[in-house]
Amino acid sequence: MIRTSYVLNKILTALARQHTMKDKLTDDELVGHDLSDAERAALKAGDITGLYHLGANPYLIRRVFRSRFPI
Amino acid sequence: MAEIVAALLTSHAPLITGKPEVSKPEQRDRLYGGFHELRRRLAAARPDLIVMFVNDHIQNFPYSNMPAFCVGLAEAYDAPSPGGSRLMRIAPRKVRGASEWGRALLESGLAAGFDFAYSYEIESWDELSVPLHFLNPEGNIPVAPVYTNCAAPPLPTPRRCHEVGAFVGTFGRSRPATERIALLATGGISHWVGTPETGRINPDFDHRVLDHVTRGDSEPLIRLTHAEIERDGGNGGQEIRNWIALLGAVPGWKGEVLAYEPVAEWITGCATVWVHP
Repeated sequence: MIRTSYVLNKILTALARQHTMKDKLTDDELVGHDLSDAERAALKAGDITGLYHLGANPYLIRRVFRSRFPI
Repeated sequence: MAEIVAALLTSHAPLITGKPEVSKPEQRDRLYGGFHELRRRLAAARPDLIVMFVNDHIQNFPYSNMPAFCVGLAEAYDAPSPGGSRLMRIAPRKVRGASEWGRALLESGLAAGFDFAYSYEIESWDELSVPLHFLNPEGNIPVAPVYTNCAAPPLPTPRRCHEVGAFVGTFGRSRPATERIALLATGGISHWVGTPETGRINPDFDHRVLDHVTRGDSEPLIRLTHAEIERDGGNGGQEIRNWIALLGAVPGWKGEVLAYEPVAEWITGCATVWVHP
C-alpha cells in the first residue's frame, strides 16, 4: 500500500492548481495546517525525496518543486 | 448502429511540446512523425467526436473527492489553460466538448451498473492538451473524455478499466447509425514522475505492452497488478489503464506501432499506435 499524507497533498494541490512553482515553502504558507514535524521540515526544505516517502503524491511533488529535479 | 471509425493510443507528457529542443532530433522526428500519421488517418476517418480515455494529474480531482471513473460533461475543455500553456508551450485554447454524448454515456452507465462520477468543468493538463495539439489542431472535433484515476492510489484495477472500456464501446455502437466515433487513449508507457527514480524509463516493459497491443491480446495487460506496473513501468506506467480501457472497447482489434521512442529528456517511453479492426 502506497503511503498517502492528506495534509501534504492538500497543500501541494492548492499550489499546483495555481500553477505555482516553489523551491521551498515558508512557515507563513503552512499556517493552519496540522503537519508532523517531518512533513513541515520536508516542505520547508523542498526535500522532494523526503516528501515522497512521507506520502506526498509524486505528480504534485513534480509540479510544485519542479526546480528541484535535475531533469 | 453507430460506427467506431478509429482507435488510437498515444503517450502524453508536457515536455513533448514543452521542450522539444532538448530531445534527440531523430527521436523527436520519429515520434512527431507518428503523431502526424495518426492525425492523417484520423482526419480520413471523418469522426464526429473523439471519445478519450485519459487521467487527471490531481489538477481537477483532489484528495478530498477522488473519483475512480469520471465522465466529462463540459461544454469545452481548457486544453491547455493559460497556466498549463506556459509549461507545455502550446497556446491556451478551448476544445469543444461532446457534452450530450457524455451525458448519455453517464446515464446509460449508471443504469448498467457503471457508477461514473461526472464533472462539468475540467482543466486539462497534458492528457488532452498534448495529444490534441497534434491530432485535433483546429479543435473542431468535439471530445468526450472518460477520466480514470491513474495517479492517486489506490486505483481501479486494470480489469475494471477494461470492463468500463467495453461498456463505452457497446454504448458507442448503440448510438444512432450516422454517428462516427473515434477512440483515443493517452498515457504511459513507462515513466517515473516525481518519485526518487524520476527520469527512469523501462523499454523492456514498454515493448512488452506494445507486443500485447500489437497482437490484440489484452489479457496479459488486464492481469497486471498495481505493484507490477509500479515496479516495471513506474507511477506513470499506471496510465496504461487508459489503453486497457480502449482495448476493451474494440475487442480483437490489433495495434500498429507507428513510433516508439524512450525519450530520456522527456522522461517518458513515448508511443503512437493506430489500432486496426
